[in-house]
Order: sequence, then structure tokens, then C-alpha cells
Amino acid sequence: MSVVPMTTTPIEIEPPVSLWRDAWHRLRRNKLAVFGLAVVVILAFTALLGPYLTPYDFLSQDLNSRNLGPSLSHLFGTDDLGRDVFSRVVYGTRTAFLVAIVVTFIAVVIGVTLGALAGFFGGWLDRIVMWLTDMTMSIPNLLLVVVINASLKTPIASWMESRYLATLNPFYRETIWVDFLLVFGSMALISWPPYARLVRAQVLSIRSRPYITAAQALGLTNRIILMRYVVPNALGPLIVAVSAGLGTAMVLESAFSFLGVGVNPPTPSWGNMISDGLRVWQHYPHLLAAPAAVLGLASVAFSFLGDGLNDALNPRGAK
Amino acid sequence: MGVQPLMRIENLVKHFHVRLGAFGERAATVHALDNITFDILEGETLSLVGESGCGKSTTGFTLLNLHRATEGKVIYQGKNIVELDEKAMRPYRRQLQIVFQDPYSTLNPRMTIGEAVGEPILFHKLATKAELKDRIATLLADVGLPPRFASRYPHELSGGQRQRVAIARALACQPKFIVCDEAISALDVSVQAQIINLLLDLQQKYGLTYLFIAHDLAVVRHISDRVGVMYLGRLAELATREELFEHPLHPYTKALLSAVPEADPAHERSRQRQILQGDVPSPLSPPSGCRFHTRCPIAMDVCSKAVPEWREARPGHMVACHAVTEGLSG
Repeated sequence: MSVVPMTTTPIEIEPPVSLWRDAWHRLRRNKLAVFGLAVVVILAFTALLGPYLTPYDFLSQDLNSRNLGPSLSHLFGTDDLGRDVFSRVVYGTRTAFLVAIVVTFIAVVIGVTLGALAGFFGGWLDRIVMWLTDMTMSIPNLLLVVVINASLKTPIASWMESRYLATLNPFYRETIWVDFLLVFGSMALISWPPYARLVRAQVLSIRSRPYITAAQALGLTNRIILMRYVVPNALGPLIVAVSAGLGTAMVLESAFSFLGVGVNPPTPSWGNMISDGLRVWQHYPHLLAAPAAVLGLASVAFSFLGDGLNDALNPRGAK
Repeated sequence: MGVQPLMRIENLVKHFHVRLGAFGERAATVHALDNITFDILEGETLSLVGESGCGKSTTGFTLLNLHRATEGKVIYQGKNIVELDEKAMRPYRRQLQIVFQDPYSTLNPRMTIGEAVGEPILFHKLATKAELKDRIATLLADVGLPPRFASRYPHELSGGQRQRVAIARALACQPKFIVCDEAISALDVSVQAQIINLLLDLQQKYGLTYLFIAHDLAVVRHISDRVGVMYLGRLAELATREELFEHPLHPYTKALLSAVPEADPAHERSRQRQILQGDVPSPLSPPSGCRFHTRCPIAMDVCSKAVPEWREARPGHMVACHAVTEGLSG
């Protein structure tokens, strides 16, 4: 020890441990979160690469091989029209991700904008936004979606039919877009209030943190304080909420499709597959089991990931 | 110690309007500061002491225009800074800095130490981008931190290290005056001593003036040039350190000083303690006249009727007490 020449010691250079990297380390140590993340990534790739993963078209019927059990040629068997269930589940994953991502995106944009404005400016703007939020949350989700579907679906469909007859443009035969429009629209309409509340609460709490006062004492402008202090600190809980929200949106879409107010057959959605399978589950349990298992897996995966992110981004709450 | 007043606080008043009751149906006013008048001399350390909620921190915040003053003036460089808007205030913000109590919450958790210290330098254009790195390293060295800390985040640092960063950040502005708002209260005792010595060293090096807000009288006695005692939003007494600790005039100051424990057990046992009865009244409806009269051991009739005058009882020794005025105490 005493003979070691101290002067030759190189200057210690430590890589910065950013909060995000730190959070990633914590997330990686959480087994459930890693499981959730893995499932989410696999499902996302399934949704992206759908057509390349399966030899069958999700619509092509083979009436000679109806209601087959799982086998090597049909992993999840076939349904009552001889359609490959695996292909339909894969395409259902597409539907689920498409709906979840678009709905969550719209809901986050609306929610973050309204919530941040309400939290930052307060006063009458805050009161109006909160009133709007409370009002939206007080409407039962299902009821609203059913009402929107019942009142808008037929008029839009008949308008498209008349446009098709007038123009013969095949675009107007694609009623799938009506489904998606109504599903996205009504789900986004009921999904934004939690984000608005979260962001408002975040902004309110961050605004009263001492580091905001410290920034004001330095003379920094409101714009700098908002962009460098408020927004980055509000991001963590929002990421957690979005991760959980994606899972919720998938379940919600399945629930609506199950009840026949979401994505309509023949477009595959886990919800309408479960609904179809439920009628015959005593004879052909795989028709119910396959979509239900995938839906369950997706829902659990997103909630594990959300929990893991929560613990990783808010380490103080975790310990 | 210089003799020039750096800052002159005249009749500063700060009231907070609050709403009480389950539905906020009752409007009320918190009399946080009432008619505070004192000078802060260039290069001195002026301490403000008092119980929790007596308005020490409010004084610091109000004279830096972080709280809008209700009335009164804070004259700095010939200008009443408490009436300036944020934009006009900006050049003064650079010169008038503050270090807060809780180092865990005064640093933005998403900014590295280097970013935090560099931000005011760039914002106030005190160095070019090329000089920035050296400047940050110099500032970190000033507060006793190695330059490699620049790439760390606040959560990697201890409380004492964070408070050093907060001080470096205030220094980055090249200020003339720093309010230390309970700047050491949240730290361990061993770390407190280091931070105090650091503050004293920096004062020497850069000719800083401190307004030191604290409730630890031993610390205050160690570092202050002058000490002000506050009670319920008013100044009770203000004098040089020796004068105040040796010849306190105000009964509240006497009670406060008698509460300081002695290190010597023999002394401690024989010591006369003066225990005040009751609690501090609510600043929502402060007592009439002298605010201390409800707990004062020598209160007279006049005390509940008239507000005692803030006057110089001995050279440089300001006090607000009817008994002192009438020669009954002191």
C-alpha cells in the first residue's frame, strides 16, 4: 500500500448513470416485468409480421376441414367455417394492437394537452377541463359505445352503400373502416380522462416542488421551466399509464367486439372470436381457449410491464 | 464588515390570502410579515432566528421577490425590487441568490450536476459555451466537489453533496447576496459543520453577503455578524451577535436564549431556564398590540393595546418592546 505511487493513478472516469438507464437496470432485475416486456415484444412482432407467420389466409374457408382440433397443420385447429384459428388469432393481434395504439395515442394527445393546460394555468380553464373530465367519466363506457354504434353505424353504412352505388368506387364497400372509425372514436372518447387527470396532477405537484422555485430564483423564463423542469419530470408516470392503458384498450376492444359493438366479423378480433367460441365451447373448446388465452396473456403482460415500469421509474415507491 | 447597506428593507408586509372551511367558504388572511424594517450591510452575515412559522423564510422569499410583497419596499441598488415584474427583475435575480433547506428536492432530478450548474451561466451569459466546462469545474472545485461529478445525477449524491451543488449553482450566477434559507437544517450535524465552513470560505473569497435563516442558535452564534429575532411575523430585536447574546433586551429573545443547552453538565443543571407558557398564536388572527404579550412574562396593560415601536435602544441595537422603552427591562 505504502509503496504504490499515487501520481500514476489515472483520473477516474465514470460513465453518467442517467435516470433512464438506471430505470432500465431496475426493470431488467424485475422478472415479471421482463416476462411482460418479452410477451409484449413477441405480440408486437406477431402483429407486424402477421401475413408471414401463417400459411393460411384468415378469411379462406375450407368446409372439408371444419372444427378440427389443434394439429401440426392447424396449430389452434379450425373453426366452424374451416378457417385456420391460428391465422385468425394472429390477425386478431393486429386488430388488438392497431386499436390499442391508435386509441391510446388519441387519448394521450387529448389528455396530456388538456391536463397540462389545466394544471399549468389553473383558474377557469382548470375548472372547465375538470368538469369535462368528470362528465366523461360519469358516462358508463359500454352505454356510450353502444349508443354511438347504434346511432351512427347504420347511417354511415347506408351512406357508404349509396356512395358505392353512385360511384362504384370499391373504397365504399370497405365497411371495416366504419367499424374501426367507430371503435377508435368511441374508445378514445372514453379513454382520455385518466390521462388528463394524471398529467394535471403531475403538473400541479411539480409546479409546487422546490426545484421550480429554485429555477425561478435563477431568473429562468416560464418556457424554460416548463420544457426543462415540468415536462421531463411528468414523463415517468405517463409512460407507466400508457403501458397499462395499452393493455386496458386491448381488453376494452375485445369486450366491445365480444358484445358485437366493436370490430365486426369477418374481421378477426379476439373479442368476437371468444364470442363465437363461447357458443360451442363444450364441443370445440379450442375455439374459445385460443383467443381467450392470448387475450389473457396480453392483458397480464401489459399490466406486469406497467407495474415494472412504475417500480423502475419511481424507485422510492418500490422500496 | 462593510458599513454600506447592501439592501434596505422598509416596512415590508406580506399577507397570504387563504380560504378556510370544508368548502373554502371563509376568506382569511395570514399575517406572515408585518412591517419589517432592517438593513443588510455589505459583506455581513445577518441571521434571522425564531420559531417555526414566525416569518423567517417568508422574509427571505419576499425580499427576493419570489413572493409578491403586500406592501413596503426592498431597496437594492437604488431600486425598489419588490415592485418589479419578472422581466425587469431578471438582472437582479442573477445578483440575489438563494440556497434552500432541502437539497433533495431543490435539484431537478432529470438534470446532471453539470447541466444544473451550467444552466444559469449560459442563461445569464456569464461564459461562452467553450468556457463552460472549465467554469463548471471551477465552481465544483469551489464547493469541494471533483469535476467528474458534473456528469452525475442528483440521486447519486448524498445530502451534503447536493447542498454543495445547490451552492455551486447559486455561485454560478456570480451573486452579491445569498439567502441561506435553513440551508443546513436538513443535513447531518457533521455535514452541517462542513457546509457552514464552506459558506464562510466562499464569503471570504467572493465578498458575499448572507442572510442566514436558521433556528439553531449555536450555529447562528458561530457565523453571524448580526442577528435578528422574529416572532409571529414581526422583528422583535436585532443587534450585533455579541450584543444580542450578551445583552438581550426583548423578553422573547431572553426566553429563546435560555433554551440553548449548555455543553457543560454542571452548568446545565444550575442554569436558569425560562419556559414560555402556551403556544405561538395563529398568524390568522395575531394578538393586538405587541404580538408577544399573550406569552410575555412581563406584559403590561399597554402591551395589548399599542404596537411597540421599532427603535434603537442602544447603539446599533434595535428592539420593539414597551418594557424596554420604559426602562423596565434590559
